[in-house]
Amino acid sequence: MIPRALFGREQNLANIRRDAFLRGVRAVAPATIATGTWGLVTGVAMVKVGLSTIEAIGMSLLVFAGSAQLAALPLVAADAPVWVILLTATVVNLRFVIFSAGLQPYFRHFPLGRRLILGYLTTDIGFALFLSRFARRPDAERGSPEQVWFFLGMAAGNWVAWQGMSILGILLATQVPGAWGLEFAAIIALIALTVPMINGKPALVGAATAGLVAVAAAGLPLKLGLVVAVVLGILAAMSAELMLERLGARR
Amino acid sequence: MSDLTIWIVIVGLTAVTLVTRSLFLVLGDRFPLPERVQHGLRYAPACALMALVAPELFVTQGAIDVSFGNPRLIAGIAAAATILVTRSMIAAMVIGMAAFTLLRLVA
Repeated sequence: MIPRALFGREQNLANIRRDAFLRGVRAVAPATIATGTWGLVTGVAMVKVGLSTIEAIGMSLLVFAGSAQLAALPLVAADAPVWVILLTATVVNLRFVIFSAGLQPYFRHFPLGRRLILGYLTTDIGFALFLSRFARRPDAERGSPEQVWFFLGMAAGNWVAWQGMSILGILLATQVPGAWGLEFAAIIALIALTVPMINGKPALVGAATAGLVAVAAAGLPLKLGLVVAVVLGILAAMSAELMLERLGARR
Repeated sequence: MSDLTIWIVIVGLTAVTLVTRSLFLVLGDRFPLPERVQHGLRYAPACALMALVAPELFVTQGAIDVSFGNPRLIAGIAAAATILVTRSMIAAMVIGMAAFTLLRLVA
């Protein structure tokens, strides 16, 4: 009886994981248009800068960070010192530190190795879709198998779309003319992801603030404006939420 | 840049990306964030994506350009309106790219 019950429960858990994984894949499917277009643009850019096919594929698989790669490539082309390239990429990546703080309550029960794998798989789109779906759920559900495997399903879809299109871009780089406006297609795909996330007044205030600050600070080196914009946007959204609560309490 | 240097750059980029993406996942137990901050991070997704997108629409060659002569801005607004109305990523891509291509031909 006992082994059977145990087996039954494990079977159940396996089903929960598989269903959550597939839900994650489905949730990320529309966003793979954005991921794939960015991947293609990045793949083409790596070869245009002079990386060999193997180097470009290696960079794609290992680094797996479009914005950091795109920021590093002009510096590689200009033969900049390695430490300058790495510092630039670190600054461009600073927003991921904020993301890792947002994801920490969901993955805190895992050992170090798995946390690093989850970190490697964290992308802008993956983080955005995950937290906008689960941030309002009760704290007790945080890190449940459903949530973790949903994240993994999303990450897998994202990873395959990115690597597939990036490698396609690497192989076809010499045949892609610059005049196609591919970069802008990637921007439009990001817009289509952003708009539905602005749900409610605090989010609207936060996003508007982040956009304004990012535009005003676009001249800052190393994409520092991006980090400043995210921090001020979050603060603005929190303030707006607090003010709305007070207004509501007064009524 | 030599092939060896490029591989050093690739490994270095891998390391800094892994460290930034995992920083709080690894250190968060020892340095817990206040509940207020944790709560505020739910707004991070919309803010981060908006901060990525806005400069691409409003800034042209280092200068802020809010005019009908800015194809990126107009096409971006068209795409945003499309996604608001239809909720379809494909429709937004088609309308946005069509607007962008047309405006560039006219300009």
